[in-house]
Amino acid sequence: MSAFLKRLFVTAIAVGLILPFLIVAGVSISAESNISFPPKEFSARWYTELLTQKDWLIPIRNSLVIAAFAGLLSVTIALAANYVLWRLKSGFGKLVFALGVGPFMLPPIIIAMGASVFWAEMGWYGRAEATVISHGVFFVTLPLVIIARGFAALSDDVIEASRTMGATPWQTFAKVIFPLVLPYIITGYALVAIISVNEYLISYMVSGFAVETLPIRIFNNVRYGYTPVVASAAMGFAILTIGVLLLLSMITDLLKLLGASRD
Amino acid sequence: MKRSLVPYLIGLFPLAMMVVFFLAPLAFMIVVSFYERDPLGFYKVSFVWDNYAKFFSSFYYTISMRSLWSASLGALVVVLLAFPAMYIIVDMHRRWQLFWVILLLSLMCLSEVIIGFAWLILFSESSGIPKFLGWVGLWENPRSLSPSFGAMLIGFITLGFSLVALMFYPQMAQRDRSIEEAALTLGTPPARVFYKVVLPNFTPAIVSSVATMFVYFLGVFVMPTMLGRPQDWNMTVIITDKAVGDANMPLGAALSVIMLLFTLLIIGGLMLASRKREASS
Repeated sequence: MSAFLKRLFVTAIAVGLILPFLIVAGVSISAESNISFPPKEFSARWYTELLTQKDWLIPIRNSLVIAAFAGLLSVTIALAANYVLWRLKSGFGKLVFALGVGPFMLPPIIIAMGASVFWAEMGWYGRAEATVISHGVFFVTLPLVIIARGFAALSDDVIEASRTMGATPWQTFAKVIFPLVLPYIITGYALVAIISVNEYLISYMVSGFAVETLPIRIFNNVRYGYTPVVASAAMGFAILTIGVLLLLSMITDLLKLLGASRD
Repeated sequence: MKRSLVPYLIGLFPLAMMVVFFLAPLAFMIVVSFYERDPLGFYKVSFVWDNYAKFFSSFYYTISMRSLWSASLGALVVVLLAFPAMYIIVDMHRRWQLFWVILLLSLMCLSEVIIGFAWLILFSESSGIPKFLGWVGLWENPRSLSPSFGAMLIGFITLGFSLVALMFYPQMAQRDRSIEEAALTLGTPPARVFYKVVLPNFTPAIVSSVATMFVYFLGVFVMPTMLGRPQDWNMTVIITDKAVGDANMPLGAALSVIMLLFTLLIIGGLMLASRKREASS
């Protein structure tokens, strides 16, 4: 009985989390131009529209480009901060690390408002570059924490061996450390890129009126009367996100990465 | 190893990035909160308290109370759901754990806009729950369930669930089970073990996750606008509305500074409490 209740509880939650997306999936393949479920006739027309119409393609491109560069920036900062902490194991390294955790503690609206006035003053308000930098800096917490696990897993023997064989610190980094932490770097990059693609508030407040990203496009569309294209866009998003995570689960042990088992 | 300057030089890069693009914008936001609004541009350099004075009015009092209420209710409910769920999930088969982790990670990454939109469809009379209830015959005149406070709260919960669950996950999976097992072998009912052993051990984690979620829900923008009624809009919506809609950056900045101070107060309180607990144990 108790095992049954437990399973019921967990299943109910899973249903609550997944059901909305099943309905969206149904709407996105419906042939009707009004949003309705269940679909009477199936068609791929909303996906075709999503991938051929200019007012959807531009936001998609904007989002992907911003995400690609924001991920790169974020991972670079996180890698440098972790390397410094690992080399110095002292105050300076810790300070850099603590600063990186900061953005995660604050509500996004405060960060978005700060970024907005900052870029207005710098003259970059409304530019995609500003969104890239803001995303890269504010999402640094995730790669920072994940890459830290990579550095924690480095065994001293390998480093010692490379040093006694006469490798310079740079050679040790490039030939030993970097390959070993690479899976963590990739995971961090992928997570930042996905979150950046999905982020609304910062993109909107920094450059939303000039650089329309996909979430901004969807939000505006939903607010001012919407068509099932939104559903196909939402599904595209969800599939992309889940696909990347499934790929990640193949190259790294996600359960261990999240700290489920003792390292 | 010889002490070298190189690590410090490398460290300058992340340090500079964080200081320039994270701390400086926050500092500059405080400066702008004292500026005056310029109808033709962003703002006029000045030093006035007007923006803060505006906060002390019945309008902002209502908004503040409303934000505190929806954020605290959302935080409580989401933790009440996520905690027992993770307690069950960590004992499931590895394959199911992986399913949950991917589901939770997907939801964590997925845009607020998408989650809000999905619920909007599910609450609509043309395709969602109302239509189903009408079809089954349980509801004669089905109407859309959103916008409403309940719809907004469900949006909050879907948004926060993945975060809290992933926060509980490592602690829950790695917990020391010896006392639980001893209690179970001695014949204590599992429900009693949960209340008497597991729950007390996790009280600090629960308190800090409620606080984290509370802070997080204070800053949610999309859910209130998509699923809530105008009388449910929280401070975040008002800040965005003032800063972008009315192009009144100084007022938006001042309201954000107030929220920042409030958040720091909560985080500081939490840190103090955890330090006290460490000192006493």
